Amino acid sequence: MAKKLGVLLAVLLVMTLVGPLQAQEPVTFIWGAYTNPVQLYSAVVTDGVSFFVLEQGCESLLAFDGATTNVIPSLATELTSNEDLTVWTAKLREGVTFHDGTPFNAEAVAFNFNVWRSTDHPLHFASQVYEYYEYMFDGFDDASLIQSIDIVDEYTVRFNLSRPYVQMPNTLAMPMFEIHSPAALEKYGEDYGTPTVGYVCTGPYKFVEWVTDDHVTQDLWDGYWGEIEGNVERIIQRVIPDNAARFAALQAGAIHGKENATPEEIALIEASDDLYYMLRPSLNVFYLAFNYRIKEFHDPLVRQAISLALNRQAYVDAFYVAAEVANTFLPPLMWGYNPDVPMPEYNPDKAVELLAQAGFPNGFSEVTVLPLDDAGNVMLDAEGEKVPLTLFWMPVTRPYNPDGEGIGQAMAADLAAIGINVQLENAGDWATYLDRRRKGDLIGLYQLGWTGDNGDPDNFSGYFFKNCNQPQEGYFNFPEICETLQQAGSLVSQADREPLYQQADAMLAETVGRITIAHSQVPLVFRSNVSGYIANPLGTELIRFVTVE
Amino acid sequence: MTRYIIRRILETLPVLIGASIVVFLLVHLIPGGPEVVLLGERGSEANVAELRTRLGLDRPLYEQYLIYVGNILRGDLGRSVAGNIPIADELRQRFPATVELSLVALTIAVVVGVPLGIISSVRRGSWIDTGTMLGSLVGVSMPIFWLGLLLLWIFGVALGWLPFIGRLSPNVEIQTITGLNMVDAVLTGNWSGLVDALKHLILPSVTLSTIPIAIIARITRSAMLEVLHMDYIRTARAKGLRERTVILGHALRNAMLPVVTVIGLQLGSLLAGAVLTETIFSWPGIGRWLFNSIQGRDYAIVQSVTLVITFIFVVVNLIVDLSYAWLNPRIRYE
Repeated sequence: MAKKLGVLLAVLLVMTLVGPLQAQEPVTFIWGAYTNPVQLYSAVVTDGVSFFVLEQGCESLLAFDGATTNVIPSLATELTSNEDLTVWTAKLREGVTFHDGTPFNAEAVAFNFNVWRSTDHPLHFASQVYEYYEYMFDGFDDASLIQSIDIVDEYTVRFNLSRPYVQMPNTLAMPMFEIHSPAALEKYGEDYGTPTVGYVCTGPYKFVEWVTDDHVTQDLWDGYWGEIEGNVERIIQRVIPDNAARFAALQAGAIHGKENATPEEIALIEASDDLYYMLRPSLNVFYLAFNYRIKEFHDPLVRQAISLALNRQAYVDAFYVAAEVANTFLPPLMWGYNPDVPMPEYNPDKAVELLAQAGFPNGFSEVTVLPLDDAGNVMLDAEGEKVPLTLFWMPVTRPYNPDGEGIGQAMAADLAAIGINVQLENAGDWATYLDRRRKGDLIGLYQLGWTGDNGDPDNFSGYFFKNCNQPQEGYFNFPEICETLQQAGSLVSQADREPLYQQADAMLAETVGRITIAHSQVPLVFRSNVSGYIANPLGTELIRFVTVE
Repeated sequence: MTRYIIRRILETLPVLIGASIVVFLLVHLIPGGPEVVLLGERGSEANVAELRTRLGLDRPLYEQYLIYVGNILRGDLGRSVAGNIPIADELRQRFPATVELSLVALTIAVVVGVPLGIISSVRRGSWIDTGTMLGSLVGVSMPIFWLGLLLLWIFGVALGWLPFIGRLSPNVEIQTITGLNMVDAVLTGNWSGLVDALKHLILPSVTLSTIPIAIIARITRSAMLEVLHMDYIRTARAKGLRERTVILGHALRNAMLPVVTVIGLQLGSLLAGAVLTETIFSWPGIGRWLFNSIQGRDYAIVQSVTLVITFIFVVVNLIVDLSYAWLNPRIRYE
């Protein structure tokens, strides 16, 4: 018996090393992802990993063009509005069907939007988070910006809004508003988008299989209405959580591409004939925020001194693969960017002078935390409590911040050089960090950033600084900035809005209300037999353009 | 014996209830919640509050606990907060992955560790003994992460001999019967699938086995050394029995009690998931799932999976306890 077992094991070992015979396989593009998709239903997810899959199989009414944030037709061939931008009419593409064979038409569009906007719709589940609908369209039900949707004819749909909404074309191009098959939504109910069901849409690749924490497979669909420029017949997104293992998989040829690379990996890629990388255009900002419960931060001289002490270019050179120092909150790619705002200066000597003028000739290590009144506003005239100054670093890697701790240490060293001694603190994991930031509990200086969702500046500067009465975070309260942004958000023409965003950014830079650090470009790495990948600043990247040789 | 088993099974109930309360309280005590993670940088006070309400997280803790317990008693493990995925479905998929990896790793550990411990004890003070003990010290001390990446790079990238991502290669399929790929491949006669599954198991299981090998070798050695000094071993030798019979037939069986205990504990730990090994080798097991769920504050997953792991621990402990009686007939359970 033991001998037989031994022989079996020996045979297995030989077979293992020799390997199985390979069958004829479809042209496959394998993408290495750091984690699992959350769900394959566009309306309820926000993460890039889910959208990498969804964008290959699902489509919005409009789309972002190639490497830009310009909006082009997709499932809608035309989008027009009335004069005050409160009624938007979409002409839909004819002859399109969903993967399940049901027709795409005005009814399907209205059905999808009604599910998202109406909390009493039987398919609007309380357990699901329709985060982007709420965020982009003001809320649900009566609060929803979309008050009603009219089916004008089989291929025309009309959105009636409660207020002018200039972002409508950009918003309808967002992948969060991809149109899914009403029949499939009804058939699967709450299970729609889960691994056993996947998605049913109109895009070039249909869902085949999702083995959680392992892979998602999508196959080319022969019923697609559009052109397939590349040759990929199958897409597999493999989950490889460890960064080093993901790079090793790329080196070994086990995957064709992946997002992100460390500077060390970039050096290896540049030395390799088998690998290459491209940069995703930047639509983000990394910043250091002041928590305005600290009395000293209300002094512009102190804020300017801190800004002057930070060697942003050194952070960019040391920690990023590709980034540029941020002169403004808006990145250069976004309209509304102000190129006339000077680059932030690194000048420790001047910083020391400003600190002295502010009454801190020897710098400081402690700061005064002001109390809040019953309404939650900072009591500027109160005495406050002395606490050590803390700099909170981000506990996760984000596209805009590749190394929160490393950059935090560099910032602390720069501040120490002008006499400002900070305690570096890890505020906990990401959930804890976000929770404390939301509650205003990151009392000190703290790192954070933003990545644009749809290419409109109202979704960037507007999100943070537009609300005068309820600051988004850190008790930020600069009335001139918020009033300017409110005005920009209320206008209809881009030409009228653009100077206002530029003006707001100039004010933010001048007052140093928040310290902008960098706009980063995320590297995308590929095997050399892959071509045709188009990096998009919003991350909407389509494998139908890709060729694998 | 039967009464003992029934009593032990009944005793698991308070353990499970206690564990469920402790885990429930712990996950709710950690700052942040699933609503904060889900909303990320976009989480303002207003939308976080609204999401808390939608997810039922604004209800009193005791109410949430009772709902959770009620669902468990109805056999409903719930759905993940992020992704809305039925937890029972996930568990059915991930648990076999963990079991397969754990059993192979433990088999390697026993097959290597026990003989090494025996040889070390018999050849005490020899270079084999010194080497084994030094090796086991290195095995225990070596960071799994480092070893895994080293093996991955040598055998996966440099030599290209072995795959190191997940359980199967792309485009290779094995029909699911038990969820254990190797077993299913044999049952369905899918030999190329079997080879592929085996190949994928080698690097993670070898990595995962290093610490158990070291522990088992050390425990076996010390247990054997103790037994080898017993009178009955001297008597066996005096009777003229072959040394092989003395060692394997008389000494080893009596020395196995602590070894079996350690093997049981190791199995329990392995079945609870191996976060690092699963992360390096992209193994879709329950360890990484649980870890990610804690990070994402996915309360439903953390609570349900912890409860399942607790149950596994209890069952493994029970099996270990029962095996004592088989190994040493003088032990009786009443």
